[in-house]
Amino acid sequence: MKNREEVVEKLRASAREMLSNKTVDVVIGWGCVTPEQTVATPVFVKSPDDVELLDWNEKCYGNLAAYMTRKEVRALGRVALMVKGCDEKALVVLRRESQIDPSNPPRVIGIACDEDGLGCAKCGTCDVHVPRFADIVISGVTPVPENVPVPAEKRYERLSEFMKQPRENRLAFWMKEFDRCIRCYACRQVCPLCYCERCIAERNKPQAIDSSATPRGNWSWGITRAFHLAGRCIGCGECTRVCPAEIDLSLLNLSLANAAERSFEGFRPGMDPDREGAVGAYSRGDSEEFIR
Amino acid sequence: MNAEEMIGREDLIINRDGLGQLVRDWLAKDKPLAAPKRIKDDLVQYALCTDFDEIMLDGFVHPDNSIKTFLFPRHEKLYHYETDELGRITLEDSNFGEFSQLLLGVRPCDAAIVPILNHVFNWDLKDSFYNRRAEGTVIIALGCTTCDANCFCTSVGGAPDGVAGADALLFPTSDPSVFAVKVVSEKGAHLLAKYCAIGTAAPKAAAEVPVRFDMDTVHDWLKENFESPFWEEESLSCVGCGACSYTCPTCHCFDIMDEKNGLGAGWRVRNWDYCQGRQFTLHASGHNPRATQGARQRQRLTHKFWAYRDRFGTVLCTGCGNCIRRCPVGLGVLPFAKKICELAKKS
Ligand code: SF4
Ligand code: SF4
Ligand code: SF4
Ligand code: SF4
Ligand code: SF4
Repeated sequence: MKNREEVVEKLRASAREMLSNKTVDVVIGWGCVTPEQTVATPVFVKSPDDVELLDWNEKCYGNLAAYMTRKEVRALGRVALMVKGCDEKALVVLRRESQIDPSNPPRVIGIACDEDGLGCAKCGTCDVHVPRFADIVISGVTPVPENVPVPAEKRYERLSEFMKQPRENRLAFWMKEFDRCIRCYACRQVCPLCYCERCIAERNKPQAIDSSATPRGNWSWGITRAFHLAGRCIGCGECTRVCPAEIDLSLLNLSLANAAERSFEGFRPGMDPDREGAVGAYSRGDSEEFIR
Repeated sequence: MNAEEMIGREDLIINRDGLGQLVRDWLAKDKPLAAPKRIKDDLVQYALCTDFDEIMLDGFVHPDNSIKTFLFPRHEKLYHYETDELGRITLEDSNFGEFSQLLLGVRPCDAAIVPILNHVFNWDLKDSFYNRRAEGTVIIALGCTTCDANCFCTSVGGAPDGVAGADALLFPTSDPSVFAVKVVSEKGAHLLAKYCAIGTAAPKAAAEVPVRFDMDTVHDWLKENFESPFWEEESLSCVGCGACSYTCPTCHCFDIMDEKNGLGAGWRVRNWDYCQGRQFTLHASGHNPRATQGARQRQRLTHKFWAYRDRFGTVLCTGCGNCIRRCPVGLGVLPFAKKICELAKKS
């Protein structure tokens, strides 16, 4: 990471300022890591004296936008949130879906990634290394670099590779993947866009999805999760990173993202704040008969 | 050698070929065998194996799941129900039959769950489902020569060469094709008798797992600080998932559900449940006695290090480290226990 110390210093300084002049009550950011830790634990800094807890390192995986809809976090008051370019897309969608109180929006501290990002698979096809709408953008290099578009073929390369396999093989692949699901819902809990008060997977009157980790239950869950995020998933990859069974959820997400982009005139969730969502928006001009 | 003579001896060895033969003979009887297995590049799990070559006996610290799944599976059918046209209900118990399985290459912190879980599954009621499995299981543990920063067996009374819960323990030696064997139970002796030999091989040094916190300090602090603001503060980052509970060998909560099998018929099943989810304690009225993540984390820690220990004399944690390894945000019991010890020191 280029000039990491400088970035850290700057982000601590802006956190200190916001907390000292009381623009916000809490700064949500990533914490410091020891070499053994595999992920930076998010920290909730409420006093300007504690800004040293905040950090920027190659383990800042968490998409902190997920905290914006949590009851415990809402109770903390005005929030400043640290985001990467990819995380920021979730805020765009949350805003569109009225999940952010317009009278109390978070202050957004954006951190720009280097070319390699955090070195995850998603970073290789990322075209939002630099947060676009943040109140403050902190970058290790000046001037702040421009975002570079990535052609669709590259963004969907992994998917096209997979789709080359015959149908039976793809089915067999997903059977094997879903078979390992233990229904821990870590994928859902870390997802910034899985914010339902009561997830359909937990409804039991009537029960829509078997809670059992059986082939039937796991398929229902795996497919429903993906469908509920179709046209909404911003591809932060958190669900996949945290899955204790290492199920390749990203591949499934990619397939739905591709469908949305093809069917809705290049629609990509979280990219354009002025554009209506692909789902959840209604127009008389919609081609489907049933909606009129 | 007769079985009794094997128990406790210090001079038994088994070589890879012997172990391979044992595995093949077991599988030939068409009985399940689970062992550490590479599932994906970044995933090692205890899983059913059908071939000796699939079994990993080195190259990992701890599998990403636990042997719990073979004693207390994530999903179990308790009985089937069926209603006829007249509304009469017939119930049919799940058919147990004979049950016998071998768990091989089990880390000591996994084997150790058997005596721990025996308490709760035989406390007020004898849980026939668990007991049947536990009784029909032979556990051949595999001692550890390496550990990672998340291992803390030695902080909760275990050891990288501990034999608690195991029927026998294999330990790597300086010769990669030979394991030192400690036979612990008759079950272990009967299984191994044919394949073990008397011999000497220098066992490798056991992993040096530092004591990372003081169990008694944690216990006492938990007891005295139920209302501490610590819980809400430190649990803000917890996303409330089941990754810790479900990869934990000792977490044993379950939920009972009915699942349809056509019209008027279905199974009563039990599935794993996790105390970190909001729904876990949600009442039908809408009231939730554990309304916040802080209250839920407090539950997990107090159950493990205070309540279970006071009731059954043993903590509900073997220090395997899975809850830390698999936590999406780097929590798990270890960071909590360490912080508690720091707090206790200050007060
Ligand atoms: S996907 Fe882009 S913004 Fe996100 S971490 Fe990787 S490089 Fe940074
Ligand atoms: S589904 Fe996964 S990749 Fe998509 S927004 Fe949610 S956590 Fe991120
Ligand atoms: S995180 Fe993985 S194992 Fe857990 S519910 Fe999601 S897909 Fe299943
Ligand atoms: S609480 Fe954590 S360390 Fe203890 S047994 Fe469970 S998963 Fe292992
Ligand atoms: S401690 Fe970690 S694994 Fe456990 S519920 Fe919280 S976020 Fe999930």
